[in-house]
Amino acid sequence: MQEQTRAYLRGRFGDHYRRTEFTPPPEANEREWGYVPWTDSPGETMVRHRSLLDMGSLEDFLAREKPKHVYFSAGRYDDPGASSMGAKTWRSSDLVFDLDADHLPSVTLGEDSYAEMLAKCKDALKRLLDFLDDDFGFDDLTVVFSGGRGYHVHVRDETVQQLESDSRREIVDYVRGIGLDPELVETTEMRGGVTARVLETEGGWGRRVHEHLLTFVDDLLAMDDDEAKARLQEMDGIGEGRANTIYGALENNAEALEAGNIELGGVGLRTLLDAFVSEVVEQQNAPIDEPVTTDVNRLIRLPGSLHGGSALQVQRIDRADLDAFDPLVDAVPETFVGHEINVDVTDPGPVELKGDSFNLQAGEVSVPEYLGAFLMARGRAEKAPE
Amino acid sequence: MTIQPIHARYPFRETARQAVGEAGVDLAALVAEDAAVVERGVERVVWALEDGTVGDAHDVDRIELLSYPVARVLVSQVDEHILTRRYAEAEAATAYERFTADFADTTELKSANAQQLSLSDLLAEFDLSGVIRSADGSLASGASETSPERRSGGGIGDGSAVVSDGQSREFRVEVGTYLDLASDQRGDEWGLVNRALADGEVVVDGEELLVLLRQAVRHRVEDGLPLNVPAAIESELEAEAADLRERLSELDLTRDIDTVVPELFPPCMKSLLDRVQKGEHLEHHSRFAIASFLTSIGMTTDEIVDIFQVNPGFGEEATRYQVDHIRGATSPTDYSPPSCATMQSYGDCVNKDDICEDVIDESHPLNYYEHRLDQEDEDDLTDWREQRGDDDAEADSEA
Ligand code: SF4
Repeated sequence: MQEQTRAYLRGRFGDHYRRTEFTPPPEANEREWGYVPWTDSPGETMVRHRSLLDMGSLEDFLAREKPKHVYFSAGRYDDPGASSMGAKTWRSSDLVFDLDADHLPSVTLGEDSYAEMLAKCKDALKRLLDFLDDDFGFDDLTVVFSGGRGYHVHVRDETVQQLESDSRREIVDYVRGIGLDPELVETTEMRGGVTARVLETEGGWGRRVHEHLLTFVDDLLAMDDDEAKARLQEMDGIGEGRANTIYGALENNAEALEAGNIELGGVGLRTLLDAFVSEVVEQQNAPIDEPVTTDVNRLIRLPGSLHGGSALQVQRIDRADLDAFDPLVDAVPETFVGHEINVDVTDPGPVELKGDSFNLQAGEVSVPEYLGAFLMARGRAEKAPE
Repeated sequence: MTIQPIHARYPFRETARQAVGEAGVDLAALVAEDAAVVERGVERVVWALEDGTVGDAHDVDRIELLSYPVARVLVSQVDEHILTRRYAEAEAATAYERFTADFADTTELKSANAQQLSLSDLLAEFDLSGVIRSADGSLASGASETSPERRSGGGIGDGSAVVSDGQSREFRVEVGTYLDLASDQRGDEWGLVNRALADGEVVVDGEELLVLLRQAVRHRVEDGLPLNVPAAIESELEAEAADLRERLSELDLTRDIDTVVPELFPPCMKSLLDRVQKGEHLEHHSRFAIASFLTSIGMTTDEIVDIFQVNPGFGEEATRYQVDHIRGATSPTDYSPPSCATMQSYGDCVNKDDICEDVIDESHPLNYYEHRLDQEDEDDLTDWREQRGDDDAEADSEA
C-alpha cells in the first residue's frame, strides 16, 4: 500500500469516527483495548494493554488516532492497562465465538466469491445460534459481522463469566460435535422390568440424532415398500435381510420410536444410528475457531469500528434483522456513500458491493468512494490523484 | 452454638466453621496444648496421602471437628501443590461416603435425626439450590434441617434423595455449574458433547449428582489453601510438617509424571512430535495436543521449544507463546491434553497399537504413557532432558 493510499484511508477513517456514535461494550473501562495503526512497515503491529483511562474517551481516541483496526478484550480486569496478563488480574470473561470463512469446511478458498463465503458463514452462524439459544439457553447474545470474512457472537450471560478455559473448550467441543460417542447419545430405561436402550431425546446431540431419525423414518414411510428398502440398503452395513427387519420395525413402532426406543430395530437399527450420528454432526456442527473461544484474554474487534482490511463496518446485527442482513450492503459505511473518487486499480476483476456488480479494469478509474475504499483496503487499488 | 456431631461429620460446612469460632478456640493454643487434636489432624493428612480418604472419625466430636482446621494448617505449612490437592480430594471422598450414606438412609429414624445431612442442605451449602433441580420438581420445596417440611417426606431430604423405587432420579444442572463441577472427571461420558443439554441445563442422574457434589466439596476444602500460617503455629507444628514432607517424598507424588522418554510416548504423540521436528506445519489442534501432552509430563516451555527443534527466530516466538499459553502462564487456567476420543475426531490418533486397544481402552494418551513407564524398570530409563546435557535443564526443570 502506497503512502498516499494509507494517508487517504486514515483520513477518511478519522472522518468516519468523528461522525459515528458508539455503543461501547459493557464495563468498557474494565477491559483491555488494542489497536493497529496505519504504518508503512510490512507487518502489522498491535498496540495493546491500553485501558480507557489511558485513551481518554473512546470517540476522541478513535477520531484522533484513526486506527486501522480496533479491538477490546473479552476479559475484564482489575487493572486492564497493566502490561502483563498476570498483573492485570482477571475478573471475568464474555464467551466469544468466531466463525471465519477461512475455517469453514464448506468453503473452497480461491473458488468461492467473497459473497459466497459470507453466505456460507451465515449458515454456520445460524447453526451456532441454534445451539446457543436452544441447547445453552443463553439470553444475552450480541451478533456481529466481523467486517472481514465472518461473524462473531458475544455471550454475556452471568453464567459464562467465570468459566475457565477448559470449560470453554467443552463448549467448543459441544457445538463442533467433537468427541461425540455414538453409544453415549443412548441411555437405558426400565420398561416393564427389563432394560431397554433408548435415544437421549431430552436434549444434546441425542435429541438431534433422534429428530434426524424421525425425519428419515417419515420420508421412508412415504415411499413405497421397495423404494424404502432400497433406500435402507444404500446405508453401509445394511443388506437385504436387515433392511427388511428395520423396515418392519419402523413401520409398526412409530410411537415407540417417537419416544426414543431403539431396542426394536435390532442390530440393523444400531447400524443405521451409528451412521446418523456422523451425518448429524457433519450437517449441524458449527465450525467455530477454537482458540478464540477458549482464550479468556482474547481481543476482538470493536463493533462499530472499521475493518482496515475491507473498509467495511464491524456491525452489530439485530437478531430480527439477521435473515435480511447482507454484509456487502449493510456493512458499507455511510461515510463513504455519495462521493466519487479516483483510484488506480492494480488487481482487476469482479466485485460485488452495495447491491451492485462491478467489473474492474486495471488502471485509473473514478468509482464510488465505498468501492474505492474497499479496493484500497483489500490491496487491490491505490489512491490516484483527483 | 455448641459443637454437634453433624459439625464433626461435615467440618467444611459454614455452620461447622461457626461452631469452631463460637467455641472460642485459639488455634495457636490448640496446637500447643491439645495433642489429641493435632494427632487426628496429622492423621487426616496422612490418610489422604496413603488411602485417599481422611480415615475414621474420632469418637469425640470436638476433637474430630477441630482436627480439620489443624489439617488445613499442616497442608499449608508443607505447601506442596500435590499434597494440597490430594488432601482436598480425600476430604471430598470422605464427605462423599458420608453424604451418600445419609441420602440413602430410608429408615424412619432418619427424618428425626438431625445428625444427617439432606440433599437440599448440601445444595444450599454450596449455593447450588438455584441451579440444580430435580426433574420431577421435588427439589423446589427446599426442605432443610431447620424446617419441619423435612418430616413430611417428598422433599429432597427424604430417603429418595437420589434413588427412588430402585430407579435413579434425574436432575438438571445449570450448564455453567455443570462445567465447573464436572471439570475433573476424565471419562468421555462427562464430556458436555455427550450430555443431554437443553435450555441451559444438563441432565444428570442421582449418582452423577453425588459425584458433582464431591467436586463441590473439594473446591470448598481447597479454597483459601495454602493459608498464611502464623509463626507461632508454624514452630509448634514443625515436627509434624517435616514428617509429612518426608512421607511425601517417599511416595514420590511430587513428580506426578515428570519423566520424558520419547520412545515410550503413545503412537499419536510420537507421530506429532516427529512431524514437528521435520518442520511440518501442524494445525492448531495438533500443536495443542503435542504441546499440552509434553507440558503434562513435566516439560518446561524452554524444553518444549528445544525438543521441537524449532529454528531460533523462525517460529520460536510463536511456539513459545503457544506453549506458555497452554501452560496457563497467560491465562487463569491449566490446559489438559485431549483424550483419545478427541484425538480421533481430529484425525490425530494414528498408528494405534495393542496397548491403545487392550490396555488403556483408547481412553487417554497420558494413560498410555503412564502404563509404558510403569512397565519399565525405572533405572533403565534415560530422561531426554538428561541426555540432552544442557545446563539450563536443571535450573528450569522444577515443576
Ligand atoms: S488410541 Fe489414544 S493413545 Fe493410542 S494412538 Fe490413538 S489417541 Fe494415541
